[in-house]
Amino acid sequence: MALDRKIAYINLTTGEIKTSSIPLEVRKKFIGGRGLDAYLLFNHTKKGCDPLGPDNALIISGGLLTATCASATARSHFMAKSPLTGLLGSANMGGFFAPELAWAGFHHLVIKGKAKKPVYLYINNGEIEIRDAENIWGKTTTETQWAIRDELNDQEVKSCVIGPAGENLVRFANIMTGIKNAAGRTGMGCVMGSKNLKAVAARGTMDINIAHPVEAFEYNKRFIDQITSAKVNQTQGTLGTPFIWGATNSWGGVRTRNFQYNQCEYADDIEPERIDEICEETMGPYHMSGCFACQVHCRAQYKIPSGPFAGKYDEGPEYTSQGAFGGEPDCKSAETVLVGNHLVDQFGMDNLETGSIISWAMELFELGILTRKDTDGLDLSFGNDEALLEMVERICYRKGFLGDTLADGGIQASEKIGKKSFDYLIQVKGMNNLHSDERATPALALNIATASRGSDHLRSRPAIDLYHLPEKVLRKIYSNPIPYDGPLSSEHTEYIGKSWQVFWQENCYMAVDCLGICKYHTMFLGATLPNFEDWPKVIYYNTGIEMTPEEIWDVAVRCNTIERLFNIREGLTRNDLKKGDTLNHRYFDEPCRRGAPDVIGKTIDREKFEIMIDEFYKYKGLDKNGVPKPETLKKQGLKNEPSHMV
Amino acid sequence: MAIDGKKQSAAESLRKTRTFGKVRCHNPSCMDRLVPEPGSDHVKCPTCKMEYRIFWVNPNLPRIRGPVWDVNRKIAQEKMSIYESSKKGDK
Repeated sequence: MALDRKIAYINLTTGEIKTSSIPLEVRKKFIGGRGLDAYLLFNHTKKGCDPLGPDNALIISGGLLTATCASATARSHFMAKSPLTGLLGSANMGGFFAPELAWAGFHHLVIKGKAKKPVYLYINNGEIEIRDAENIWGKTTTETQWAIRDELNDQEVKSCVIGPAGENLVRFANIMTGIKNAAGRTGMGCVMGSKNLKAVAARGTMDINIAHPVEAFEYNKRFIDQITSAKVNQTQGTLGTPFIWGATNSWGGVRTRNFQYNQCEYADDIEPERIDEICEETMGPYHMSGCFACQVHCRAQYKIPSGPFAGKYDEGPEYTSQGAFGGEPDCKSAETVLVGNHLVDQFGMDNLETGSIISWAMELFELGILTRKDTDGLDLSFGNDEALLEMVERICYRKGFLGDTLADGGIQASEKIGKKSFDYLIQVKGMNNLHSDERATPALALNIATASRGSDHLRSRPAIDLYHLPEKVLRKIYSNPIPYDGPLSSEHTEYIGKSWQVFWQENCYMAVDCLGICKYHTMFLGATLPNFEDWPKVIYYNTGIEMTPEEIWDVAVRCNTIERLFNIREGLTRNDLKKGDTLNHRYFDEPCRRGAPDVIGKTIDREKFEIMIDEFYKYKGLDKNGVPKPETLKKQGLKNEPSHMV
Repeated sequence: MAIDGKKQSAAESLRKTRTFGKVRCHNPSCMDRLVPEPGSDHVKCPTCKMEYRIFWVNPNLPRIRGPVWDVNRKIAQEKMSIYESSKKGDK
């Protein structure tokens, strides 16, 4: 049974390893995956712990449905206190690692301490071994995975690893698996590096018994039909996620030249269709692949077609790489996007943070805040493809003043650079923004301002707000499973009703993260994709747990509150520009200058924005300062946290 | 309830509204449905006058590849000059 999977507690300082089962009471309260990780992090760390110290807990997990008969249950989740933000660290990736971990007997690993020398964990059918990793330290992410397979003489081993960026404690280093599956954002690879932990390798052949296998398979057919018939997923399966960047750039929702423009014009060479041509030219017509148990297949495969890296194989690029190495630095070459994507994959570094922070440095260079002295002679102008790629490497290896400075993340870098550099840093809670520009979309602005891990689109973004859906359709979606009779608006530039949409999406995304399902299989980009009403059957047939849509909602709300409690404990306050639920002044002061007519001139209205925050807090049961009210904690069964149930 | 197989969820019922052969204008406040000629590489919105390049994901599924840059830049510049004039007027 999925419910048999255990938690392992591993202390790398002492070598002590303990395991425990997960009580049903805990499952019913937190389900698994990200939600249970949040509970574990809150319970196994203390206020103010050093993110790079031995007392920080790195938690690795799969969801409740991982490796069952349910679709797209490939997601691995990673959580710790973030070295980038000093708040909640949370990262999620697809691939094949989490199912292998589940087959090896575990759903959650809680890793504390610090090994004296580089090590990796080998988890095999209930056994956990700490192994020497000195011979693989220094290798890239793919080299590391191959070396572990060779050493264990088992090509079926699946590993999550860090690359040189994690070893060098770049504060936005990723944990990776496969070629490009990246647990990006908030620097979980840096935490792993701080523990001298190079990899976690898993191999398992322990069956997961399905509670009602015939029904589970039959219901999954209906699920698959629903998922694969969605237009958005058919496009994803052809062009991959780059189609999102292309569509967003078309109307003017892509930030360019750091934050100066909201559209990358004449960018035909980095449009998804051009990327797709290159994939087809270098890998043939069947170049799309997918993660475990997924029918969408949004992952393109390619070889770099020309230049110094010609012939190098990689996967993606995701829309985040198009923004990071295309729109934001105003570089319009497909080759640059593909090489940039390749470098961050191999280094194990967050593409989004990397591209954003370099684009910020480019604007500082343009303003004269950074000079050639700071860049060791590099011309860090916008549109300089070579300088962009050079900076990727300098950051990974902390080369020179600027490489070393940027590797510490935006806030620390701004404190070192000074001269009003912080004013130009497009971040929330210390994490740089996605490549999207939210000045014309208040709902999306609220989403990035309040997301628990810092500026982020995968924690509460109501992306369907951009589709101009009729109000009755919005009501059908957003009134389930909890009745909602407040206002809703089809207009993406409106402020009314958006706080409820963000609150609903926050809970929807938390629920899929608890279950271990990919967000492309829920109400993220498509209005016809599964959500609360569809999950009870999946859960029941696969695990035997009976939960109503309302109960799943309650779990999601509770888990979001636990994340909030962690952030409050570590210093989050409402209006703090570095640790709060607010936005850079440029959102309020600088108008959009490009794109569709109705986007031109748009800024976020500060007063209305604050009202949205108030409403959002009210829905979450927070006071005016964003702190959970005592009655909220009581209602959600959290008044005695930390409660140490596991 | 968890095992009730008869009722359709909101997502399932909304699937019936799926359209074929059409795209929506990317001007977010227009969002008119545009019907490109089969196989054509270009479509103009009759309502807001924005122009788009079309890409066919499959013969039934057109997608906007991006704007016709020169046309849409001109529209944006006109709109921006109106916006800037109104801001000067505010002062």
